[in-house]
Amino acid sequence: MLAGPLARLAADCDRGFTVLADAWQAQPEEHAAMIELADLERVDYLASFPHLATFPICLDPDEVNLKEFTHREPLDAGGAVRLTGTAPVREVLTPAACYHVYLHHQGESLEGPLHVTTRNTCFRREAYYEPLRRQWSFRMRELVCLGTRAEVAAFLATTTYMVDALCRELDLPVTWELATDPFFQPARNPKYLAQRLQPTKREALFGDLAIASTNLHEDHFGAAFDITRDGRPAVSGCVAFGIERWLYAVTRRHGADPAGWPDVTAAARRARPAGADAASHPAEAGGAP
Amino acid sequence: MLRSWVARKAKDLPPEGLTDDLPLLEGRYLTSLHIPELILLLEALRGEAIDVERLQAGDFRDLRTIAARFLIGSPDPAAARAAETVPPSPRGASR
Repeated sequence: MLAGPLARLAADCDRGFTVLADAWQAQPEEHAAMIELADLERVDYLASFPHLATFPICLDPDEVNLKEFTHREPLDAGGAVRLTGTAPVREVLTPAACYHVYLHHQGESLEGPLHVTTRNTCFRREAYYEPLRRQWSFRMRELVCLGTRAEVAAFLATTTYMVDALCRELDLPVTWELATDPFFQPARNPKYLAQRLQPTKREALFGDLAIASTNLHEDHFGAAFDITRDGRPAVSGCVAFGIERWLYAVTRRHGADPAGWPDVTAAARRARPAGADAASHPAEAGGAP
Repeated sequence: MLRSWVARKAKDLPPEGLTDDLPLLEGRYLTSLHIPELILLLEALRGEAIDVERLQAGDFRDLRTIAARFLIGSPDPAAARAAETVPPSPRGASR
């Protein structure tokens, strides 16, 4: 739960990320906080991340079933709900904001690179939780690019540069490190092996905490959702920000007193390439880690 | 053995063919789906398991790198023979 100054800081952080998205003239999109499994299974989500999945579950609407549910104590002694019959589960609560983007643009033939920004409340079941650092429910802002490999590479390099500049403006010391996604049984998962052999994910670490990541998906989503660019499956990449983790970083670095917190939106404006949109200023990518 | 396996699996090879320095993953000639089978092939050729947690970026970059990293120097004669199909130099000389 966020309230008062911390809630305002969260809004300021998110506005700052959208300032970076504006450098790409990214289309804003808002999506539901759940996604149909039949769609997500096109990228084998459940085989890769079953341990992270959180499912929305409903009671079977049959009246007899609902009466049975209401005729007894709804919770057991441990606080767990005493479910009767349940309806079929066909959705998963959004595990990452950008999945919706690929689904929304399925079947499209892109005439140029597509830049999108979206925010969602995301859900990941974890072995343990820490407020702001590792939550079951958290907000994720993403910048997404679909296009040719060169277009996506330029997007990732320039956006990485901007994120790095934003961290400097905010006096947040970060290091960029190669990373892999938290696959289930990774040694058996081709995608994990590919990430080790051909790194596609980098994380901006504040201490040991990843506050942003850049990800090159190659044509994984383009092929799965039939999105093409130049007659081939589109390549995609995304840059993701965990909003609560930025709150942790800013308050850890600048203290608990809101008077000492920086203006994140203004810092983001200073972090953008000078005098031009990112799309026309790829040379700035030279400074990316 | 290694070369023929890659030649069978690779898609859209360039006109110059499967050279020793062709970037297999970066060039998308092989995809993630090929990796487990390639690991099994290398394990069979060298006669010992590969610890996937010790794999590093670039280990499967091209035929020459794969041979140098996993086959050359292996005590298994079959592995050495497989590696011989990928001479360490000159670059790109072997087809």
